[in-house]
Amino acid sequence: MANLQLENLTKYYKVGKNEIRALDGVTLDISDGEFVAVVGRSGSGKTTMLDLLGLLLRPTSGRLTIDGTDTGKLGDSQLARLRGTKVGFVFQEYNLLPSLNVLENVMLPLRYVHDRTDGRKRAEDLLDRVGLSDRVRHRATELSGGQQQRVAIARSMVNRPSLILLDEPTGAVDTETAQQLVTLLKSLNEQDKVTIVVVTHDLDVANEAKRQIRLKDGKVVSDEPVVAAAIA
Amino acid sequence: MEIVRNITRRKLRSFLTISGIVIGVLALTTMGALAENFNALLDGGVKYFGSNVQVGPPDGQSASLLPLSKIDEIKQIQGVAAAFPTYGFSAKPGAVAVVSFGIPDTIVAGDPAENSWSSLKTSFASGHQLDAVTTGGVVLGSTISKEFNKKVGDSIDLPVKPADAKPDFVNHAFTVMGILNPTRTAPDTFAYLNTADGQMLLKDSLPIAIRGQIDVTKITEGIDVYGQPGTSISDLDKIADRINAEVTGVKATKTSVLVNGFKSGGAIFTSITTAAALLALLIGGLSVVNTMFMAVAERVREIGLKKAVGATTRHIMGEFLLEAVFIGVLGGLIGYGLGVAITVVANALTPPGQSTLFLVTLPLTVFALGFAAALGAVAGILPAWRAARLDPVTALRNQ
Repeated sequence: MANLQLENLTKYYKVGKNEIRALDGVTLDISDGEFVAVVGRSGSGKTTMLDLLGLLLRPTSGRLTIDGTDTGKLGDSQLARLRGTKVGFVFQEYNLLPSLNVLENVMLPLRYVHDRTDGRKRAEDLLDRVGLSDRVRHRATELSGGQQQRVAIARSMVNRPSLILLDEPTGAVDTETAQQLVTLLKSLNEQDKVTIVVVTHDLDVANEAKRQIRLKDGKVVSDEPVVAAAIA
Repeated sequence: MEIVRNITRRKLRSFLTISGIVIGVLALTTMGALAENFNALLDGGVKYFGSNVQVGPPDGQSASLLPLSKIDEIKQIQGVAAAFPTYGFSAKPGAVAVVSFGIPDTIVAGDPAENSWSSLKTSFASGHQLDAVTTGGVVLGSTISKEFNKKVGDSIDLPVKPADAKPDFVNHAFTVMGILNPTRTAPDTFAYLNTADGQMLLKDSLPIAIRGQIDVTKITEGIDVYGQPGTSISDLDKIADRINAEVTGVKATKTSVLVNGFKSGGAIFTSITTAAALLALLIGGLSVVNTMFMAVAERVREIGLKKAVGATTRHIMGEFLLEAVFIGVLGGLIGYGLGVAITVVANALTPPGQSTLFLVTLPLTVFALGFAAALGAVAGILPAWRAARLDPVTALRNQ
């Protein structure tokens, strides 16, 4: 489980002489086991927020604390280690490696962590859980989009992270597959108590979350439980 | 396994890149084997001439003839432990001199006892050493025995009569008493006689006008002078200085002059051949640099993903370096294998009686394969560094 604290988190980009405020002073807490959807128009800062939470970016200012660790004080290698052990990523384009088979793709994050005990078994169990145990030797390119995304979800879980970050996970799959993926995510959240933060344009996905954060121009404009958001 | 898959993703490009290394290592192996062979030849000279002082006629004397009595004078010089007469003749007089990496067939005569003093040790493949008194025997080096297809007990006429020899050409039949093991240096093409037979050949070689006036039993062509076993080259030089100062009618050449001559000759040859091969290999290395840069450019998203799942800068750098080293080692192994095959075939095709051209040694093997691996690593550093420094966010969203 992961406990995230964002304090006045800000990320500016310089494009030529202009400064773009991708994320502008965001302060919020995400508690252990939450299922949070981050929504907003394109350019609202969703992906930047996800990249900051995933420790892929350093904030321009502000503070991000994960499970009590002030990530601003960590060096690049420490951030990489924290990413490897605490964070799982799922991307819209799956990002599976074509040179590896399904099982090897799932096992990829194990390479970069110290604890690889039962890694292979964990990967096989996860593939079984996402319904792909019969495809372990297949190449990623031999799978459908939905299957590839399930492989990506299995990969995100292999290091037993406490936080999974998803960037438009249903953006490249059909509605039915999207629903299957959401069901899978809910099961991970409820059974494994994994904190999930999903950035999405897909309202069906967003409405399955327990909490919905809406961004606009890099600022949080609403932060409500999903039921309340739906009523509003 | 992943490395192999990455390399085989772009089969033609990988083939061409590895071919560059293969050609470079092939050149390094064959040229290096040529240099090693030449160096082995020169090492024999260094060993032989590094253990004694060569004494010959003084400067300006055209005939290489010295009174044997000079040996007794030389033995009186401080530091001299032994001195032996030496005689040398062409085994194939009248043979046309051609460019060769070997030493021409030569008849060497002297006291068999000198063998125990020389640093250049020989051993017998068959038969045994000559003795000092029994005439008519010969010990053949490995190459010359093959050239004339002789074994122990056979007879051989020396010097070999040229096809166009005049009727008064003189040679003698000798019985092969022993055949030496290969040394890859001078003894391989030598035919060894004892002193008495050497003096007989010396008489045959003298101009008719003076032949009857010279008692060859009192003459030598040169003198090999030894200090106590283990005498250093600088001490042998001092002995040469003392001989020149105290014995008239002879010229002692400093040991260091001969040794350095052999060494510098070997160094120049090795430098030229190795430089040519390294140049070829460096060109191959540049193709590895190019391939690895292209691999990085093509796999930007992969790098971003690996960073996202926990890879550090060191991990990424290590993976790309390993891939470059793998290319280097693979190219190195294939190039080395082909190079060895070429040298084996070329040596096998060498006509009997000619020295083989190539010698693949363990140091050459280690150098060729090590250099290929190191070249891969060096060639991979910049691309790997670029890959490792990629910003993960930019890399992940690279199209």
